Amino acid sequence: MFRALLKKELMVARRNWIGIVIPLFFFVMVVSLFPFGVSPEAPTLQKIAPGIIWVAALLATLLSLEQFYRSDYQDGSLEQTLLIAGPTQVASAKILAHWLLTGLPLVIVSPLLGILMQINHGFIDSNHTWVLMLSLLLGTPTLCLIGAVGMSLALAANRNGMLVAVLVLPLYVPILIFGTSTVTASLENFSYNGQLAILAALLMIALVMSPFAAGRALKISVS
Amino acid sequence: MTNKGLLASDLTISRAEHVLLEGAELELAPSTITYLYGENGSGKTSLMRCLSGLLQADSGKIYWNGQPITSLDSEYFQDLIFLAHALSMKAELTILENLSFYARLRGIKDPKSLIDDATSQLGIAQLQNRRFAELSAGQQHKVALCRLVIEPAKIWILDEPFVNLDKATRHWLALLIQEFAKQGGTVLFTSHHEIEELAIDQRIGIEH
Repeated sequence: MFRALLKKELMVARRNWIGIVIPLFFFVMVVSLFPFGVSPEAPTLQKIAPGIIWVAALLATLLSLEQFYRSDYQDGSLEQTLLIAGPTQVASAKILAHWLLTGLPLVIVSPLLGILMQINHGFIDSNHTWVLMLSLLLGTPTLCLIGAVGMSLALAANRNGMLVAVLVLPLYVPILIFGTSTVTASLENFSYNGQLAILAALLMIALVMSPFAAGRALKISVS
Repeated sequence: MTNKGLLASDLTISRAEHVLLEGAELELAPSTITYLYGENGSGKTSLMRCLSGLLQADSGKIYWNGQPITSLDSEYFQDLIFLAHALSMKAELTILENLSFYARLRGIKDPKSLIDDATSQLGIAQLQNRRFAELSAGQQHKVALCRLVIEPAKIWILDEPFVNLDKATRHWLALLIQEFAKQGGTVLFTSHHEIEELAIDQRIGIEH
């Protein structure tokens, strides 16, 4: 059942690829503006790069949340899948598909942005690149998991986009702090294992709680 | 009161502080076809959504085969097909992909032959690889009806299933409902007009 739900999400996304490209394009564009707007010099960019990349990733995730349930809610398929598969399974499949389609691409393009922000000079030869990717790999699923709960709640409030931002952004703060701190520590040649461990712990907590919470909120929303 | 079928007891449903139904009793036995009628806004859809587990009643209980539907969770919902106003199909996917998705959710591993059969019955077999968004309103409605042939169920709750259908398809659907009830299925449907082709066992009216 989960496979069928996931496959459907991926098939719909393949036909509606613009929804995947926009958050990715937004992510790349926001980061690439900084060398033009602030300074192209390496020391300045290196200092602000972790925060810029992480804030851009967070905002790109927030932007992509808009499409999380909307079309399923409008065409009635959300109700039907909730009835047949149950809310937790539906939310879980949505979250996984959403991360694969919008979170994972951010992780994949992040080395390019690392080069742009001069945190690494080669493509994958720098340790900082791997740290950046790893922090995003642990952080972006958590952003999707928290976002799913926010979207499920907002669906009940007539899909209020502003409400999602208000609900979700405060919960994104710890991930932003530890994500940024991981990359900063790597750039300053400090140990970053602690920050990565906290990101992993946040992911575990979100993995356990979010599908259930999002599912319950979804059930309330459709009624 | 029998233990079989769907039973709603002392059901109160309200919408935006307006009470639609108060203390309603309803029994839908197996092998029966129940016609639910009432004016627009009388609460037919709300009652159907409530019986489908999508809407929480203010008070009262709903039992499926003697057990409250809240405690059954997926078991009741695996027995149920609820066709709502919204056709619940993805515009981006083809007919085949949409119907395969619902069939796989019901645990049917290879649904192609069932889909071929259903779409042939409704005269849309040649459109299987067309995207849902490219179909006419009538054809889209036929796709939604294919679910009744493909997915196994014991109870059908159908919200205005005869809307948008041509005469031949109305006749086909009436026969299908009749056959389903004959085989022990429970059917509840709404319509603004009584369906002549259908032998209705029970009529329930909702008044304002």
